[in-house]
Amino acid sequence: MVGAGPHGLAALKALLQNGIEADGFERESDVGGNWNFGADNSRVYESTHLISSKPFTQYPDFPMPDSYPDYPSHRQVKEYFRRYADHFGLRARIRFSSDVVDAVPVDDGRAWDVTARDRGTGVETTYRYAGLVVANGHNWSPKRPAYPGIEDFRGKVIHSADYKDADVLRGRRVLVVGAGNTGCDVAVEAAQNATHTWHSTRRGYYYNPKYLTGRPSDQVADGLLALRVPLAVRRVLFSASLRFAVGDLTSFGLKKPDHKFFETHPIVNQQLVYYVSHGDITPVDDVERFDADGAVFTDGSRADVDLVVLCTGYLVSVPFLQHEWLNWDDDHPQLFLQMFTPRFDNLVVTGLIQPDSGQWTLAHWQGVLAARVAEALRRHPSTARAFLSRAGAEAGRRYSAGAQYKDSTRHYYEVAHQDYLRALQDAIRELEAPA
Amino acid sequence: MTANPVRRKTLAMRPWDWAFPPRPVAHREVLSALPDPPTDRPPLLMVHGIAHGAWCFGENWVPAAARAGWPAYALSLRGHAGSGGARHLRRTLMRDYVHDVMQTITELPEPPVLIGHSMGALIAQLVADRYPLRGLVLLTPAPLHSAMGDLVAIARDRPADLGRALVGRTLSMEPDILFEGLDPATARAYSDRTGTESPLVQWELLLRRRVGPVRCPVLVIGTPGDRLVRPADVERTAESYGVEPVWFPGMGHDVMLDAGWDRVLDTVLAFAADLPAWGTAAVR
Repeated sequence: MVGAGPHGLAALKALLQNGIEADGFERESDVGGNWNFGADNSRVYESTHLISSKPFTQYPDFPMPDSYPDYPSHRQVKEYFRRYADHFGLRARIRFSSDVVDAVPVDDGRAWDVTARDRGTGVETTYRYAGLVVANGHNWSPKRPAYPGIEDFRGKVIHSADYKDADVLRGRRVLVVGAGNTGCDVAVEAAQNATHTWHSTRRGYYYNPKYLTGRPSDQVADGLLALRVPLAVRRVLFSASLRFAVGDLTSFGLKKPDHKFFETHPIVNQQLVYYVSHGDITPVDDVERFDADGAVFTDGSRADVDLVVLCTGYLVSVPFLQHEWLNWDDDHPQLFLQMFTPRFDNLVVTGLIQPDSGQWTLAHWQGVLAARVAEALRRHPSTARAFLSRAGAEAGRRYSAGAQYKDSTRHYYEVAHQDYLRALQDAIRELEAPA
Repeated sequence: MTANPVRRKTLAMRPWDWAFPPRPVAHREVLSALPDPPTDRPPLLMVHGIAHGAWCFGENWVPAAARAGWPAYALSLRGHAGSGGARHLRRTLMRDYVHDVMQTITELPEPPVLIGHSMGALIAQLVADRYPLRGLVLLTPAPLHSAMGDLVAIARDRPADLGRALVGRTLSMEPDILFEGLDPATARAYSDRTGTESPLVQWELLLRRRVGPVRCPVLVIGTPGDRLVRPADVERTAESYGVEPVWFPGMGHDVMLDAGWDRVLDTVLAFAADLPAWGTAAVR
């Protein structure tokens, strides 16, 4: 078990719960992974709140407290993970401050030798395990596009990975690049603090409100799914509700979306359009190049800025494993159910998903599936092998519920939550009913 | 062990839970007693049945269990006894009760042994469907497979009571229905403490429920003369988990209050003391 973030904890719990001996390795001194604010590889910032509401975001067997709001803050989220770890007695099974530096298959792939370095003493120790679960996250290794001329730029350039709070924006002219949820959050904070803000995006997007009809909008969306409303109708409903509530975004100077609803990862941000309409944010095109004073955009316009915040996302990085073991294709792993590699029965990846919803219900069920596979390998090897033998043929299959995702690195791991969860459920049932 | 426990399929898809989460309730009453000195035993969490409250366990079981070395907790569901939500009782659903129990569980230091009585036992089974309990104890349990048979028996036994339920009033909690061995004054006093039940939940008892695999050990307790849950239903519930029910003749439906409650508690505590460490239970 590598990583004690949301996915690592869920997998560790599922394994222990099913009587499978397991140890966790965590490079930090506490659980929470990305939500462990202040840790080296934590990418949350002071103002981070969840962008999905509680019901699908929480673990199904450990609901968030009623006292939490619909959209809890990162502090509450971290506290939630600490309580989860304590409740299920996971801490005692985790080696904290322990950096996994290497993992190699031994004994013909029947076991893994995992080498971990103690971050305090620097001492490296190798442990042998029958199986390896990788849950080291995919939102920590920054993706930095190579813009021409960026080395001539005299201002400051930071990646959102290093963005912690609005202090850095104060009194500066700021260019925010990227319209992920982070990019939009940072653009809004810049609008509140900076002298002026430019927001550069590749394409137009749908900016979803956090509430519709007084309820968190993801719950409204799940209500339509529960009623089995087809994709085309949901598209019409959501576009119509946005048109009704906000109107034509191009009248604010924003780009028209070049894609249909549900084809890009949803952006949930009510404030961005507000600040655009107040003139605090100027929407601009994609960055073409930088020069000494600022940026030039693809439409030929330019902006003179002091600070550039690249909210350009993250790349998957599993530094302790050889790429081929994870069936790596060019720049990302091709996995069966986004979890299993055709190369090994006893190597599982969890958390390599980006759902159009909350995440940790999926983390829970990924953990359960990992535990069922481990259990089946022991008790019903033929069922387990029949299941895993599909890994090659079905590697890289997408769970998009019929939508065609835009091809970019941020959509490699995009899943439609209900589609993907149904696939997990089928897999779990298959392993529970040995032939 | 009987031969054919029900094979249950894992249920991950719960779209209604995601779309319409239960509303929080302002206050939950949880009675508790902790052993002194502390022990390393898992907590016991007790859930009451129709129109009862945490008090029905608080009366005898909670203090007695703590004296025997068990951290003991009893919860009042929303709209019952000291918990909030009475104003919304008429539109309260079973899933709201499940939510209340789940919220209480997450406040405990570790996974509990869940003890449910009557309707509380049905709720406990629905909780076991989504949460990895240490153990599950069902006292005169309302069945997962629909309480229609019990309703028919009540109709034959006490037609007036069926009429009350049909118009949305709470099932009768008269002393002779709940108790067999108590003196009349005590039985009357307990009966008077019962309140009202959500009519929707009473109706929901007639539905057939599907739950996923329950992987923790299960103990089922019944009384042969029960006037609310038929012994045949207790039998069937036990069989679905592949266990034999334990019978307590001469007791009424409320086994945690009726004379002889200490013998029932002893059986429960012996079961709990025998539980395997968390995570090593056999797969059912």
